[in-house]
Amino acid sequence: MKRYMVMAAGGMSAALVLAACSGGGDGADADTGEVSSLSVLDYYNNDPDNSLIQAGLDSCAEELGITLERETVPGGDLIQTVLQQASSQTLPDVLMLDNPEVQLIAETGALLPLDEHGVSTEGFAQGVIDASTYDGHVYGLQPVANTLALFYNTDILAEAGVEPPTTWDELREAAATLTEGDQYGISFSAINTYEGTWQFLPPMWTNGGDETDLTSPEVAEALQLWVDLVESGSASESVINWSQGDAKDQFMAGRAAMMVNGPWNIPAMNEIPDVNWDVVQFPVNDASQTPVAPFGGEAWTVPVTGDEASQAVAVDFVECLNTPEQQLDWAVSRYTIPTRTDLTEDFLAERPEMAAFAEQVANARSRTAQLGPEWPDAATVIYEAIQLALTGQTSADEAFAQASAR
Amino acid sequence: MTTTTSAPAELNRRTGDDIDLRKVLLTAAGVLILAVMLFPVYWMVNASLQPSGNTLNADLIPLQPSFDNYVRAISEQGANLVTSLIIALGTVVFSLALAAPASFALAQFRFRWVGVALLAILVSQMIPGIVIANALYSAYEGMGLLNSIPGLILANSTSAIPFAILIMRSFMLGVPSAIIEAARVDGAGLVRSFLWIVVPVSRNAIITAGLFTFLFAWSDFLFALTLTTTDEIRPVTLGIYQYLGTQVQNWGAVMATAVLSATPAIVLLVAAQKYIAAGATGGAVK
Amino acid sequence: MSSLTHAPARAGQASPAPPRRRRKLRGDDIAKILFVLPAGIAMALLFGYPVVKNLTMSLQDYSLQTFFTGEAPWVGLANYVDVVTDPIFGQAMLNTGLFTAGSILFQFVIGLALALFFKQHFPLSATLRGLLLLPWLLPLIVSSATWRAILEQDSGILNRFLGVFGVEPIGWLVSPSIALIAVIGVNIWIGIPFNTTLLYSGLQAIPDELYEAGSLDGATHWKAFRYITWPSLRPVVSVVLILGVVYTLKVLDIILGLTGGGPANATQTLATQSYQRSFVDFEFGHGAALSNILIVISMAFAVVYLRRGRHAADE
Repeated sequence: MKRYMVMAAGGMSAALVLAACSGGGDGADADTGEVSSLSVLDYYNNDPDNSLIQAGLDSCAEELGITLERETVPGGDLIQTVLQQASSQTLPDVLMLDNPEVQLIAETGALLPLDEHGVSTEGFAQGVIDASTYDGHVYGLQPVANTLALFYNTDILAEAGVEPPTTWDELREAAATLTEGDQYGISFSAINTYEGTWQFLPPMWTNGGDETDLTSPEVAEALQLWVDLVESGSASESVINWSQGDAKDQFMAGRAAMMVNGPWNIPAMNEIPDVNWDVVQFPVNDASQTPVAPFGGEAWTVPVTGDEASQAVAVDFVECLNTPEQQLDWAVSRYTIPTRTDLTEDFLAERPEMAAFAEQVANARSRTAQLGPEWPDAATVIYEAIQLALTGQTSADEAFAQASAR
Repeated sequence: MTTTTSAPAELNRRTGDDIDLRKVLLTAAGVLILAVMLFPVYWMVNASLQPSGNTLNADLIPLQPSFDNYVRAISEQGANLVTSLIIALGTVVFSLALAAPASFALAQFRFRWVGVALLAILVSQMIPGIVIANALYSAYEGMGLLNSIPGLILANSTSAIPFAILIMRSFMLGVPSAIIEAARVDGAGLVRSFLWIVVPVSRNAIITAGLFTFLFAWSDFLFALTLTTTDEIRPVTLGIYQYLGTQVQNWGAVMATAVLSATPAIVLLVAAQKYIAAGATGGAVK
Repeated sequence: MSSLTHAPARAGQASPAPPRRRRKLRGDDIAKILFVLPAGIAMALLFGYPVVKNLTMSLQDYSLQTFFTGEAPWVGLANYVDVVTDPIFGQAMLNTGLFTAGSILFQFVIGLALALFFKQHFPLSATLRGLLLLPWLLPLIVSSATWRAILEQDSGILNRFLGVFGVEPIGWLVSPSIALIAVIGVNIWIGIPFNTTLLYSGLQAIPDELYEAGSLDGATHWKAFRYITWPSLRPVVSVVLILGVVYTLKVLDIILGLTGGGPANATQTLATQSYQRSFVDFEFGHGAALSNILIVISMAFAVVYLRRGRHAADE
């Protein structure tokens, strides 16, 4: 009866109510005959992503013989939409979540544990699985991933006779050399949002810093790199108000010779063919280190709607979005990295320019692997510390202590 | 309504023969003020004509304008523009229909609880929009008003009605109760004296309240985002957000759409502004 | 409300004022109620629930969980204590005060000056007045993005313009000591059309006869403004100011679009903090407590507005 109430509130069709009450749904082999349509919510609201995602969704819908009702919202509003839908019991059958938010939502009990419904995670990169695992269960499956690396303008570097940097010292030096006139050596985002935190993770993690101990010298040293770049004038003071999109605009306008950024920019960058660029991994502090960057990208999850037949079809659907073919398809078209590690070679054959990102992903880390749903607190401390240090209010050494005091 | 005919005559009398030069100077000053005030709008137009959508490398004047952004905006946002217009005009009509009688009553009738009512109206303006939007979402879900134009009109009216009441009431305080008394002595009922006397006399206030109601509804994003779940009904503000992806923002298309969508609306507003008449109340008492 | 007291006198110029009669028409009372009823019902329906909801939320531990389970334990005033003792609360209060006072003062003064300017009818004045509303037709995300480009330290047109006069580039949005001023400036720009348009309509409602009578008594220019314009405009001025305060206190989009409360929290206000608590930190109880504090501050102004109004009416 309770289930019936939920369904009625959700305003779903009578057929689905019947299906739910008749208790169909026995895991991944559910009879899809009773379920004719799934609702999907994601934040790929603009092109080209919008239509590329749509194509992938459509092909899986066709395979399962169902139709889709897809809703897209702008990224910043996704969680809010999810909360509204949760409180009115109208969550979609299939929900896309940014990977650091999977555990946050899983904690509320709103998501179906996929591993209990026969979904295998074999062959997926560990970092991706970490991000979607809460309390021992896997709640989401992420077909493709992105990360951060160092873009550089090949023409500017060649003209200045500068090699792409591999260490922080080289990075400081290259950035200083490349700074002249209207042109800064490097652009990055140190904005007071999670975006600023995300961009700081390559230096922090590469240097051995960890979110469980933000006042460690390794973290402070990483922050010092950002401070040095800004204080020496190799990066603009405006980085504290730049999003990653701004950092990219600066780079493409020839106002920065290098930038820290991700592969999602590549389609837009290709539209401006007179800027030539290449990518290397993020530099290391000393040669013994391996560059470690964060995993980005979105996982597909199945909310608990109470309708087991639909849930079962939704699980099949999420599996379908993660088949090797679909991963490769999206990876190639969207300039992202397939999360099944054995696909890397096939992928690079089609997208050789993604080599640096593929390497970077191999050692990438999930933001929520250690702290789980507590990650946002640490992330807030990180961007606040960056702001304090880059505005000169405290030294890099003291910034984290001061920011965590809040 | 012999009431307002005297106004132009007054104006003509005030303006002498040697005033032409003064008027030219005033116009020049007006254009200059507008140029300063609207510079950011110009800068937005400039950005919309850059292929990159930003002005990082832009000159003061777009010497090599690119119209790609406009081509895209026109082909993708035309229908949304119509939706926005319908919603904004619908909100104006609905809000004014409810707010005008109420503001007349609050201005002219000596209700004991006028103060309380005004406080309640003011408090309603203090509530964050997001709180209202979230509450409406739950209510609409049950009533089937999600994804509907009436739903959005009603939602936009939430902020417009109290606003319009406050504005129109403050103007209607200036309507001499003598006029209304006089009409009633002549045997006019309350409704008739409201429609035939108060409304014409207060037309400045009504137009002004209508202008801002239009603007509120036109620029609404929050309700549109919260109360629509499909792309059947999509006001242009929401259309603009489709160019602002989570990771990639197409500012060129955003700017072009904003410019494009503002054009029909500004024509409407300029036209409405011309109907704000001078000295209306004064004339009426005569 | 001073104009209420003017009314009989003004009418007296034209015809003998009928003595104000006690209302005795009983059937009238029902008609009168009907004037306010539709709006009253609409408002009760649309606002009753959100107000109560916001109030109860602020007394609960309302987290992400609550949306899914519906469970929100009561915590009394703990949320209020938490937000008020937060180290950033003081700065947010101060910024809110500065932001509101600075915005209102300049919006109003410039708005009134422009309204008086446009009152001198000249060719194109109506068109220019209409065009002044153009900024209001643009989504705030677009105007704040444009302002960000204008105020950009290195490439922004404002610094390039000032550079012509030898001014060093200013970090409008990135220097903690300047960012608040820049944000206030943009908000003033947004508020001017609102003030100008409303005040202009108010000016237009002042009967020309008053000025004619005044000029016979030698009241021109400043004197006419002081003794005719200002008193007649007072009801409109009051409503413009009170709405200005209420709207400015809760300004959110502009600050989020320009600085997001940064740099280093230099532009955090109660509104941005409330947003941050609710929709970034998902501590909805805290967010609601902050927005209720904001509402109480607004209400203080509202009460002053209503008191003054009543006082004037009783004169």
